[in-house]
Order: sequence, then C-alpha cells, then structure tokens
Amino acid sequence: MGERKRLLIIDDDPDFVEGISSILEGADYAVDVEYNPDDGYKALQTNPPDLLLLDIMMGRGAEGIMLARKIRKDPELREMPVLIITGIREQIAFLFPGEPVHPRFVAVDELVEKPVEPEFLLDRVSALLEAAEARKAETS
Amino acid sequence: MMKNNYRILIIDDEEIILDSCTEILAGGDYEVATATDGTRGLKRLKEFQPDLVFVDLKMPGLSGLEVLEEIHELDPTIVTIVITGYATVSSAVEAMKQGAYDFLPKPFTPDQFRLITHRGLERRKLVLDTIALRREKELLRENFAAIVSHELKSPLGAVQQNLFTLIDELSGTVTEDQLRRLERMKTRIGDLVELIHTWLRAISVDIETIKDNFEPVSVPTVISKAVESIEPHAVRKAIEVVTSVEEPLSPVFGDEVTLTEALVNIGNNAVKYSHMGSQVSIKAEEKDGHIVISVSDTGVGIPKEDLPFIFDDFYRAESGRTAAGGAGLGLAICRRIVETHDGLISAESEPGKGSTFVIELPVYKGNLED
Repeated sequence: MGERKRLLIIDDDPDFVEGISSILEGADYAVDVEYNPDDGYKALQTNPPDLLLLDIMMGRGAEGIMLARKIRKDPELREMPVLIITGIREQIAFLFPGEPVHPRFVAVDELVEKPVEPEFLLDRVSALLEAAEARKAETS
Repeated sequence: MMKNNYRILIIDDEEIILDSCTEILAGGDYEVATATDGTRGLKRLKEFQPDLVFVDLKMPGLSGLEVLEEIHELDPTIVTIVITGYATVSSAVEAMKQGAYDFLPKPFTPDQFRLITHRGLERRKLVLDTIALRREKELLRENFAAIVSHELKSPLGAVQQNLFTLIDELSGTVTEDQLRRLERMKTRIGDLVELIHTWLRAISVDIETIKDNFEPVSVPTVISKAVESIEPHAVRKAIEVVTSVEEPLSPVFGDEVTLTEALVNIGNNAVKYSHMGSQVSIKAEEKDGHIVISVSDTGVGIPKEDLPFIFDDFYRAESGRTAAGGAGLGLAICRRIVETHDGLISAESEPGKGSTFVIELPVYKGNLED
C-alpha cells in the first residue's frame, strides 16, 4: 500500500463536491474534481484515478449515465471502480417515469444516495478500492 | 402510404342494409367493412379495428346486445350505434344504457345515415383526443414532479452534505451546545427532504396503476421487510418491535412494495409517538377471509376529536401529536394504498395509553399454482 489513492469526483454541484471532498481528503485520499461530464471524461483518459465518484444528473439531464456507459465500453477504464452518488429516487423516476424504481439501471459498482453520511461514504470507497485491488492481484 | 381514413364496420343480417349503407358511404373518406351476423362481426372487428360500428339489434345467433357488450369489452373506445326497427325503440334505449352512443331507427334515409355516421365519427375523435390528452397530462405530471424534486433536493442535499462533514470535522472543537444545534439543523433538513419525497409521492403517483402488477403477496414477507425499515428508528429510541404472525397465513393479492410502504409508514408513526424504551407490536392473523394486520403502541395516543380525520389528505392534528412534525400525508397515502387493495384501514386510540392501527386485506382466492 503506502501510496495515496487518487479519487476523481465528477459532479456539477460545487457545494456538494466541497462537502464530500472534504471528507475524502480528511481520510487522506488525493481528490481531483471535474464539474462537467466532458472535462470529466478527458481527465479520466489522461490520468485515470483509482476510483471515480460520479453524479448522474448533470447538464441537460442524465449525462452521468452516458458517461458511465462510455466508461464501461472503454477497455482502459472498464476495470476502474465507479461509485455513483445521486439523489437516486427522483432521478430514476425522471429517467423512467411511471416505472418501478430499479437501481440496477446501469452497470456500476455501487450506488449511494445524496446526501451521504461521512462514515458510510468512506466505508464504500475503501471497500471498492480493496475489491479493485483484489481483482488486480488475481489477474496479474 | 399510411391511410388515415376512418374505418366503419356494419353488422346486420339484412344484406340489403349492408349494401345500401356501403353505397351511401362510397366516395367518402371511409373504409367500410360488413358482416352478416354477430360472430362474424366480432371476428371482422378484431382484424379491421374500426372506429365506428353499426350493430343491428335483432339478428339470428348472437344478439345485438351481446355483440355490443363484447365490443365494449374488447375496446371501450370504439363508438357503437345500434340499428333498430321502429317497434323496438325501447331496446335501443336499453342498448344506449349499455354504452351504445346512438341509435338509428329503420327505415332510414341516406341523409339520416350520413348524419349519424358523421356524428359517430366526431364522437370517436373526441374519445381519442381525450385519451391522448390524459396521457400527455400524466406524463407531464410525472416529469414535472421529477424535475421539481431535483431542483429542490439538490440544494438541500448540498447543504446537508456540508453539515454532515462539518459535524464530523468540528467534533471536539465546538461546545456541546453548538454541536446540538448543528445536529438539530441536520435533522430539520433531513425532515425537509423526506417531506419533499412524501409530497412528490402523493402528486406524482397514480395509485391505481399499481393494480396492473398485482400478484399473490406473502404477508409475513411484507411484515419482515417493513420491520427492517422500522427497526433503525426504533433502536434509536430503545423501542422493541415485536412481531407475531399466525401460521399458516393465506397470501393477499396486491403489490408488495406499496403494501410494505403502508406498513412502514404506520410502524414509523408508532415508533415516533411511543415513549423511550417501550414496545411496538405488529400482529397478523387470518379472520373471516381477511388478513388482519395490527400495529399497536403504548405511546401518546390520538385525541378523540382528531381520530375521524387522521386518514385525510394534509390533515395534521392540532394537539398532542404535532410535536413530532410531518407532512400530514403519510396516513392518507396508507389509506389510498390499502383501499387500492380493496382493504380497510382503521385506528383506535386512547390518549395517553396508545394507538392501534388495523389493516384488513381480503385473502387471495386464486390458484397459487398459476
């Protein structure tokens, strides 16, 4: 271990971002932030993080979903753990009006609801990082 | 090219009527099909998908009334007009009571036939427009709710997130009193977020639509899922949630998710209005073809004057229970859920001693193997 893990947050709400990045930095993670999906994707390609925290409702709609799909198709990024942080309930209602809420609408590793308790967030992040680490150890 | 003409089906055992009607409508923007009896007519109807159907009331085989009933069953938006002899106007009235739009007495002139056809098709257009409008309104309502909720919830979420973080970061550096106020802010904002959810739920969901997905539901499952949601709140007040479920218990016919929601709502209320360290008990038993689920607490109770209104929309008790806050919608939603399941919800209470809420649902009588 030793080295600090690098996290990238892609979310268009700067206030919310400050809230969670403060928690993550407090737990000694290196945190980068991008405030829209396009810059986010560029950052992912030039400097892929150990874990991505992704918002869903950005820009004109559910642009976070598009980004998540793009990541899943990208062989370089596919193995990167993604934690979606979202106001799940109404956002799913927005995506699929009239349908029962189904959290597995896109292949991601984990979904948590905004706002998120600090302890819970750190829990999820370290669990995802460990799982990714274990996967890597298995394949190499 | 897609043809947008209206389609008209005429069902009559007299060939001469069929021929002359077809003749009268020829040259207009219609597609016309005919059938010489009810059985053929219904068969033709399914493939032809008409906008307007003329049905002779007196035919050998299937009667006109039976044909009408079948048509309305198949597609209630199809406009039907009955053809009848002068002597049988009373049966035409009977047909209209059953949903026919108009009647055409025999004999009739070409102009009369044209006129009534025209009126019938106008009716059809109105019916279709109304359906389209209603659907549009429904979509708008659902999307509106989702957008509004995003606009309201995002800022609150950002505030709440920072409060969470600040409370964490400031612990140890602020006084106990300051920390208490921060915690209080967190609670109030949390309540506000819940309130938005509840209101949105009330306006954005057409509860009737859950009926489309009804299936046999196991009551013990509903109870254990509900208890899972209630437990964390109960633990915080050191309240014990005790369940006793009679076995075996017949299933009910419904929607597991909303039934669980109703029970969670009632259970959370019980916890909310209970004293620290007390008990909330959830019981289920089968009685006279009904599953009876009761939730009892030994809490503050509900004043007699409030009891008749607690299941009304936006009703909030003036006295006693107000301290705990709430949207005044939770129980109204419960009532709607239970009633959509053909069930009954009721409450008994004695101020200072506690309350019991009872949900009664009819037992599922269908074949479970299906």
